[in-house]
Amino acid sequence: MTSFSAKHKPLPLVFNVLSECRTTKARVGKMVLPHGQVDTPVFMPVGTQGTLKGMLPEQLEKLGLQIMLANTYHLGTRPGPDVLKKAGGLHKFMNWNGALLTDSGGFQMVSLLKLAEITEEGVKFQSLNQQKAEVMLTPEHSIEIQNAIGADIIMQTTRWLDRCLKSHANPETQSIFPIVQGTLYEDLRVISANDHIKRDVNGYAIGGLSGGESKDDFWKVVHLCTDILPKDKPRYLMGVGFAVDLVVCCALGVDMFDCVFPTRTARFGCALIMTGQVNLKKKKYAKDFNPIDKDCTCNTCQKYTRAYLHGVVTSYPIACHLLTEHNLAFQLRLMKMIRDSIHENTFPKFVADFMLNLHPDKDYPTWIQNSLKAVNIELL
Amino acid sequence: MKFCIRNPQKRAPRLGILKNIEGRTNIEIETPVVLLHTQGGHIPHVTHEVFKLVSKEPQILQIPLVSMHNFQETMEYYNGTISEFIGNKDSLTCLTLQDPSNLTKQGHHVKEKVPIWTKNGKVLYDSEMYMNIVESFKPDMYYLLSDGDTNKTSAPKRISKAVEHTIIFNNQCLERHKKSNILKKAFVMAPIAGGYCLKSREKCIQAILKNTNELGGFLIDGLHNNGPEVEFLPFEEVRDVVEYVIKSVPQEKLCSVQGCWNPVNVLKLVQQGIDMFDTSYCRILTERSAAMIFPIDNTEEADSFEINLRQSKYVDDFTPIMFSCQCLACSKYSRGYIHHLLTVQELLAPVLIMIHNIHHYLRFFKKIRECIQNNTLSDLENRISEQYKNHQEKVLSAKTEEEPRRTYPRNDVGDVE
Repeated sequence: MTSFSAKHKPLPLVFNVLSECRTTKARVGKMVLPHGQVDTPVFMPVGTQGTLKGMLPEQLEKLGLQIMLANTYHLGTRPGPDVLKKAGGLHKFMNWNGALLTDSGGFQMVSLLKLAEITEEGVKFQSLNQQKAEVMLTPEHSIEIQNAIGADIIMQTTRWLDRCLKSHANPETQSIFPIVQGTLYEDLRVISANDHIKRDVNGYAIGGLSGGESKDDFWKVVHLCTDILPKDKPRYLMGVGFAVDLVVCCALGVDMFDCVFPTRTARFGCALIMTGQVNLKKKKYAKDFNPIDKDCTCNTCQKYTRAYLHGVVTSYPIACHLLTEHNLAFQLRLMKMIRDSIHENTFPKFVADFMLNLHPDKDYPTWIQNSLKAVNIELL
Repeated sequence: MKFCIRNPQKRAPRLGILKNIEGRTNIEIETPVVLLHTQGGHIPHVTHEVFKLVSKEPQILQIPLVSMHNFQETMEYYNGTISEFIGNKDSLTCLTLQDPSNLTKQGHHVKEKVPIWTKNGKVLYDSEMYMNIVESFKPDMYYLLSDGDTNKTSAPKRISKAVEHTIIFNNQCLERHKKSNILKKAFVMAPIAGGYCLKSREKCIQAILKNTNELGGFLIDGLHNNGPEVEFLPFEEVRDVVEYVIKSVPQEKLCSVQGCWNPVNVLKLVQQGIDMFDTSYCRILTERSAAMIFPIDNTEEADSFEINLRQSKYVDDFTPIMFSCQCLACSKYSRGYIHHLLTVQELLAPVLIMIHNIHHYLRFFKKIRECIQNNTLSDLENRISEQYKNHQEKVLSAKTEEEPRRTYPRNDVGDVE
């Protein structure tokens, strides 16, 4: 077994593929990071500001969460790298002993585009913070913040990758994943992916998707990238977290995912189940004394009825906490089912059953039919 | 459920026990006790699971009907008790009408009905509707319906109406209680109305005393209209009324008040003989981002009564809220981290502050019982009252200088990604 307490020079990431699906590109792996092991394929919930939406790290540990994401841009603004350094890094600051991954701040370049000016040097943001007028996020600055945060895995995009690798201060404890870009242009994706695999990095991310493109385009890009990226390193598909997308993309060979959706939708009163969502605001749940999901073992499903949750959602913060816990448990359970079925070599059946459950009338969307056909899965 | 006094030779301060609790014969609750104030069935910001990380001791949840009114119909179809429904079957429950942490709107009275202000507006409750909900909730303890809409400034006419209504409600509800099989074992308490007029209080007490056998205790109602301002109610204003009521009701019965009484006033009320309070004060502090740090043990020292974690001086303060505190928030999280959570409006900030405040307040009540036992209550009062006085002056002067930045109450849900 690979261990971090190895006597030799420590590695910030060791990835081992434990089983591979014989039909699809899916695989089960174990990633060993400075702050613990991560079973892949993994879903990483998003703790933007150094906290996961009202949940205590004590609760997250109990749920079995191994890794979460934090945002470089937000933490770089508040509390800022100086406070994070003084605190001894984000792990200590937020009392989270599991693994952490930080993005590059590049996504905020897109989501806060109105506030950003992009030049060769870097990205200049009009700060959301009242104290400072502008924030310049250069690749060096992004790495400085990410070093101060101290996450196990940090991200950087192609154009600035070499500037980042050069200014990276903690190569022994933090891995930089380059991000394959190229939107929906297959030729650009091929160039980007081939460019990255030449470099000495511990894993790769696929970025620039989940931005509203059609699903028919989306899966083809993922399929193309996972074909090029080496099998012995983890592949992270950024911003993807709907259950159906997770199932398909695991079949396409992706190992890591993140998305704000499960925690965000919880705060709007929506609970996730295998066949979709339960919008607890709806009146029809007022006398429904069943749990959200009778197969779910989370604390919310053990103790609370839909009727109770219906009466508190959108009124009290505790309702957000209860639904967030359920939705996190749902994502973790789905990923475990995927891993177990790959291990037991029943993954194709799992995928087919999952899709049939979702579409009992077999009116499967074409992108699901085509993407799964590409990895040899026949739907029921 | 039965209330027994442990030191009957002395009227006040006194120690008592709530025991022989239906279905929980293994549980005893010591008084003076603080009920856990809830909204929608939970301590604000703290789920029952998180509360288990604060304390594993048995607790009584105070359930304000006004925050549960929207479940009225649901509960008619539900077979269990309110504690099961809200997901906390291990806790005891005490049903009350208004939410002591929110200011109750005055006026809008209708004959034989009392208004409550739910999130969907005004709802009028009469005795029948109220007792229907009590039967469907099946709480361990509850108050009879009352008209508590009086305060220091109430006109004589309002006071006499409040008494008149309360007497009618008490009688109607008690009639219903006597006939109810479901409520046979419930601990019933009668609210006493009458504002700051001793004659009116007397009238209300005389009417209620006819039913003493059915009652486990009393509530001194109508001292205020709830909400944050109760924190700064001068004790001198309420002293005479409290003293009069305590003197006039049978002394073997439990005597309670509701509202956000500050710790110094809690001590004074305990010294007068009050047995039961609630934690709405913790919510008031948490909503203004304040954490209590007043010293409870004589080994503890604090340079102020409470701290406001929003202040920028805490940005790189990596010490806990209170070094000597054993709560989860103090053992694992720093002032600087909570300050960060507050500045970015994250949901975890009030969770951590509330965990500490509730823990501190429960510890305070434990200390009160210990001090009554040892006859050292005045030491405790001396320890905190000077600090409280300085603190109150600071808060009140700051209040007049600048309006608070945030309006109260705040139940918003942040979304920043």
